[in-house]
Amino acid sequence: MNVKSIVRAWDRYWFAPGSAESLALVRIACYTLCFFIYLNLDIRPWAGVSHVFWMPVSLFRLLFGPPQKAAFLGLLQILWKVSLLTSAIGLASRASLLTAGILGFFVLGLPNCYGKILHLDGIVVLILLILAISRCNEAYTVDRLFWKPAPPPTRPSGDFTWPIKIAQSLFLLVFFAAGFSKLRQSGFAWMDPENMRAILTSNLFSHAPPTRWAVSLAKSDAFCSFAAYATVVVELSALPAIFLRALRVPGLIALAVLQAAISLLMGIHFFPYLVGYALFVPWHKLYPKHHA
Amino acid sequence: MFRLLSLFIAFLLAVTCFDIASGLEHWPFGSYPMYSLLYGKHFTLLCLYGVNSTGEFRLRGDQSFPPFDEPRLTDALARMPRSELPAALLNLLRIHNRTGGVPIRTLRLYSASWTLKPGAQGDEPPDQKTLLLEVSSFER
Repeated sequence: MNVKSIVRAWDRYWFAPGSAESLALVRIACYTLCFFIYLNLDIRPWAGVSHVFWMPVSLFRLLFGPPQKAAFLGLLQILWKVSLLTSAIGLASRASLLTAGILGFFVLGLPNCYGKILHLDGIVVLILLILAISRCNEAYTVDRLFWKPAPPPTRPSGDFTWPIKIAQSLFLLVFFAAGFSKLRQSGFAWMDPENMRAILTSNLFSHAPPTRWAVSLAKSDAFCSFAAYATVVVELSALPAIFLRALRVPGLIALAVLQAAISLLMGIHFFPYLVGYALFVPWHKLYPKHHA
Repeated sequence: MFRLLSLFIAFLLAVTCFDIASGLEHWPFGSYPMYSLLYGKHFTLLCLYGVNSTGEFRLRGDQSFPPFDEPRLTDALARMPRSELPAALLNLLRIHNRTGGVPIRTLRLYSASWTLKPGAQGDEPPDQKTLLLEVSSFER
């Protein structure tokens, strides 16, 4: 295999021709979901938290200190939420997409600067940043409907494929990373039923799960053993699912079931991940007008 | 154009793979290490207890100290230099009394530990509780 064939395979994978409409439908789905998932998010209270809790991560280290004006944070989050909505409908689309990406980084990243990174929103920020620089505003936008002259139909292009492909890959790599971390840190001992029992039981002291199922399920050796193996296998299977289409649907269903189980048993809710799952829905098949 | 985009894609994949392989975190990328350590038979947690005229009771991050949630709050307190803990606890005491919960006079930080037994409900008192710090509302 020479360099040329590697380059060709790379281009075939990331830049296979796709339609502007498919990417636009992904845009509508992702930004609409983001808007509703984060509608109640309020970062203003962080302004009242003492500077001794300030432990900045990533680009937040460039700030001079924690933000202390609640009104300023309130303004930013309103702007962000409006930009999510205008990105979804495609109003002032380029400005909206960039605003949603940049402010999304700030609004969703800020809480992680107070002691702990919760791994719920990072992938959403990456998806917003990828879509912000993509050509996802070339179809189904209010801009094109009202203000711009009707453009000629956009020809299929790799420009409409790569954003979906890379966002899908990063989303699946999140799960692979979680499975790989378990094996790297603890080896196969992580899958010992005693470890799973301890995880389920200890979590009851620090979280408030919506059900008490973990109490009885943790008593079962068979369940603890199954849960431990299934978690690692399902998470690791996300890596081959990037390349093997046949694995993708069953893999995504298994990952969604795993996250639902964690939510019910441990009280850790993965609602932001719905944005990632939305990347895999063949929206163009569900939208008859486009199909026609 | 595709060459530039290829560089961008390669950058995203490289940072992701680096974090996965190294276990480091470069938010919004990360190694997703949650629950990856081995858990023993004993479980230790930093816990906050409020004190008022009715006695001492445990306070949870989500309800008592918004915008903190329990995991973030306990991790933040664990990572903080010990010299900054009094200021942190005073700030938490103020946050708690401002949120409209049962007002407290004193906030205590304990290291609490439980022996994990099948059938535990999560509301059992700790087997062992060590007081690390206490602050009262009249302290500045």
